[in-house]
Amino acid sequence: MIYKVITKSEFKKFINGLIKENQTFGPRQVDEDINGKPIYQFREVHSFDEMDLDYTVTYSSVKNFFLPFREILSRYTFQGDDWEQSLEYRVNPRVIVGLRPCDINGLAILDKIFIKGAFPSPYYLARRNNTFLIGMDHEPLEDCFCESLNHHVVRHGFNLFCSDLGDRYYLSIDSSKAFNFLKNVETTEPTKKDNEKFIARKNFIERSFKTRVEVTGLPSFLDIEFKSPIWKKWGDKCLNCGTCAMVCPTCYCYGIEESIDVSLKTSRKERFQYSCNIVDFAEVAGGHNFRPLREDRLKYRFYHHYRGFAENAEEPICVGCNRCGRACLAGINPRDVINDLRLESKDELPAT
Amino acid sequence: MNYRLLKQDINLKPFMTMPPQFNRKTIVMRTDKVYKCEIINIVELTGLEKLFHLKILDPVEREIFSFRPGQFIMLEVPGFGEVPISVSSSSNNREFIELCIRKSGRTTNMLHRAKKGAKVGIRGPFGTSFPMEEMAGNNVLLIAGGLGLAPLRAPLYWVIERRDEYRDVAVLYGTKEPEQMLFTYQYEEWEKVNHVKLLTIVEKADKDWKGRTGLITELFEEINIDPDNTYVIVCGPPVMFKFVCNHLDSLGIPMNRMFVSLERRMHCGMGKCCRCMVGSTFTCVDGPVFDYWSVLNLQEAI
Amino acid sequence: MKYLGIETEKVRIGVFDFTGCEGCELQLANKEGTLVSFLDLLEVVNFREISSERGDNYDVALVEGAISRDNEIERLKQIREKAKVLVAIGSCACFGGVNYLKNRFSMENVVNEVYGEHKVETRRVQSIGEVVKVDLEIPGCPVSKEEVERIVVDLVTGADIKFPKYPVCIECRQKLNTCVFDLGKICLGPITRAGCGAVCPSSKVGCLGCRGPAEDANYDSFRQIALDHGFTAPRIEEKLKFFNALGAALQK
Ligand SMILES: Cc1cc2nc3c(=O)[nH]c(=O)nc-3n(C[C@H](O)[C@H](O)[C@H](O)COP(=O)(O)OP(=O)(O)OC[C@H]3O[C@@H](n4cnc5c(N)ncnc54)[C@H](O)[C@@H]3O)c2cc1C
Ligand code: SF4
Ligand code: SF4
Ligand code: SF4
Ligand code: SF4
Ligand code: SF4
Ligand code: FES
Repeated sequence: MIYKVITKSEFKKFINGLIKENQTFGPRQVDEDINGKPIYQFREVHSFDEMDLDYTVTYSSVKNFFLPFREILSRYTFQGDDWEQSLEYRVNPRVIVGLRPCDINGLAILDKIFIKGAFPSPYYLARRNNTFLIGMDHEPLEDCFCESLNHHVVRHGFNLFCSDLGDRYYLSIDSSKAFNFLKNVETTEPTKKDNEKFIARKNFIERSFKTRVEVTGLPSFLDIEFKSPIWKKWGDKCLNCGTCAMVCPTCYCYGIEESIDVSLKTSRKERFQYSCNIVDFAEVAGGHNFRPLREDRLKYRFYHHYRGFAENAEEPICVGCNRCGRACLAGINPRDVINDLRLESKDELPAT
Repeated sequence: MNYRLLKQDINLKPFMTMPPQFNRKTIVMRTDKVYKCEIINIVELTGLEKLFHLKILDPVEREIFSFRPGQFIMLEVPGFGEVPISVSSSSNNREFIELCIRKSGRTTNMLHRAKKGAKVGIRGPFGTSFPMEEMAGNNVLLIAGGLGLAPLRAPLYWVIERRDEYRDVAVLYGTKEPEQMLFTYQYEEWEKVNHVKLLTIVEKADKDWKGRTGLITELFEEINIDPDNTYVIVCGPPVMFKFVCNHLDSLGIPMNRMFVSLERRMHCGMGKCCRCMVGSTFTCVDGPVFDYWSVLNLQEAI
Repeated sequence: MKYLGIETEKVRIGVFDFTGCEGCELQLANKEGTLVSFLDLLEVVNFREISSERGDNYDVALVEGAISRDNEIERLKQIREKAKVLVAIGSCACFGGVNYLKNRFSMENVVNEVYGEHKVETRRVQSIGEVVKVDLEIPGCPVSKEEVERIVVDLVTGADIKFPKYPVCIECRQKLNTCVFDLGKICLGPITRAGCGAVCPSSKVGCLGCRGPAEDANYDSFRQIALDHGFTAPRIEEKLKFFNALGAALQK
């Protein structure tokens, strides 16, 4: 990692340069909720000023830039009684500005699954290789708990990361591309004072978290609490609407749909993001459902998120952004569910 | 001043020129590329099941494709869907593979309407297999319920082709009704030529049925099982293998010598879609073949 | 197309309307880009919107609208007899739709209120399925052309027809919409079957449930959520009843 410091006005010049040459996305306010709170999403931007880099956090994560909600995996062309398959992994290069640490760490987790795991995905890889990521630190929201999972700091998985030093940004440069692009503008080597400020900023952010979720030992905990009655309590509230998985930066499971076009000449095989909360997630031909109850399905989502699977070293895949909790109409959020689970098991298991 | 990002295509070179090798898990490949196959023969087995002989058209791809007993492939019917199907033929047959398919939904219904000569695609093979080599020198007991006989044909062929390496081989097979029995035309050959002890049973007899009636566990009374030297493979609906494995367990067969093949919904076969998860285990990558001890250790397996 | 060795055949259809706005019929003639291909799959033997032909030799009858008059019953029964497959299209045909609101009043009042001096014979509104056997329901107010296209392709190729079992929320979140609950409005998306592409919430209007319930919809939790968001119980029930599509919710 190489570190530099840049003034905010130079930074603006830098971003505008990128915007001019590349398709660029950044945080923009899309709505205001009934309480007057702004709602942000990553949208295409055409100038620096269209973005709001002092935003809180986007409602939905950046996941869908890498795992689009719908994506064509292959096409078939029919000729007579024969067909030909065609596959394509190309995407145009693009820049995303203003990612939060949880976004970046979410991608780092998806990398483990889609690049480093068994059967690396060329679709994901193509998107990942062609996206230039600029992250930014910020003060956490009331309900963010990324710090509990140690995802409030970034280590890798981005091109450039900016820490706010007031009038300047402290830049962590993690790619040669970013290093070269920065030659276009004026940057300075961090002084001793800059470094101190940078560390102070990090400490300040770390101290600002108001929500903590105790996750130590959670994997084995979830194995033990598989039959806990708290699942029914929360399961009864769940709408099985899949909203949580759509907004989550790390929920990645999917379904496949094939359809023939009306011309009857071509067909598409499409992947679309799914969620284990959805009723037929584990339903097989003949109608048997391996997770027939709402609580089975809700529990499963927590199981995947906090226990983790072998694919990612059995570590939790939740980054603690609480997007799911914010979006869930039924008020189901990781903090409350996990706390409940812990309380429950305290009553049950003898203290050791 | 230059800010332009160059398009970075993933390096397809190593695998653009050759067909995907699904048995290599760690290289980037065209994961959704299928091997095109022709249906060279269709055998009607019952009202619901047909046996399809599939020949991979490209000779190079045919050369590359090989599987082990217990593995499955993803069968693609372009435009209609993709389904996991166990290979039901001998792994020595490098000319074509056999798939025994039940008509049970969108994709399989279409497939049942397909004619000889039709073209479909396959990806794979995927998943774990039965440890056939480890079983050598022992008795082999194959227990199937219903459609479960289809995946058991692969290990059965393996044993038959190397008959000298194994001791007593027995197949216990049960279905609901006599007309649901699969591969009846092969029974005589298995018994007489290959020296496989075959016991069948149905839950509900019809007027022509002269064999046994009852549950598959009743067949245990008719064979001698030597718990110290027997490997068992069980394939069938979950209720069935639970009963069967419990019984075998009580006979003293070590749990790591009993194998089952689990069935779950599958959309990728590659540990990505999560549809096949049993607890924290992927049926498609860590399974479908599990030993009974692992199954007992999986959350929500049975 | 002659794929898998299966010959595809054109589907002979008749389109018939009963009490409804004919919006669904119009939908069928919509979506110019693919209209030619779409009509290529069909042999239209009876369809007022696009041809003057009045044939009787249809295999598939697409029936739009609900039943609200005695003479409609007779006509519907005749259609049922001739059709191999009878498809109810649109929420009116599938559930009664908006027309069903009428059933909350006495028929006499309705007649006086709506028609005043010029009295017309009318009856309790019924969905098509309440009168004859329906083979397939394509809900929606109006139906989505994409979905109709997909279903017609399935009919032509003979494939099983499938509808999503999940609720509208999935499609809505995939469009990165702002949830209309956050905007202070009520939305039936969480309990309504997806397939419309979340058209209503995409234009910041709450879903009214025109497509009927999603599988295993959680009505109790939905009611609680709506109450928690400050909507009154009568207002919630009113919404649930709008298309008469969420029958199961109302039985409770
Ligand atoms: C490892 C494995 C081996 C199998 N071997 C055989 C076999 O040898 N012969 C055979 O007839 N059947 C086999 N099956 C079951 C077969 O995959 C299903 O019958 C088939 O997927 C039904 O698909 P459909 O499109 O016809 O049904 P639909 O109900 O229309 O299915 C829609 C989709 O759901 C998924 N799905 C539905 N049911 C199952 C299921 N039981 N298992 C996995 N995915 C499912 C598929 O992805 C399918 O595309 C096997 C399943 C697994 C997991
Ligand atoms: S937890 Fe909430 S967001 Fe997720 S499926 Fe249940 S109700 Fe929907
Ligand atoms: S938690 Fe559920 S929705 Fe999220 S990735 Fe895992 S299986 Fe999918
Ligand atoms: S979870 Fe952490 S990184 Fe994400 S928005 Fe909240 S504080 Fe920022
Ligand atoms: S589970 Fe919830 S808190 Fe965790 S990463 Fe996903 S959206 Fe964020
Ligand atoms: S607007 Fe309606 S459909 Fe969309 S997420 Fe909210 S409740 Fe669901
Ligand atoms: S089939 Fe997709 S993860 Fe196993």
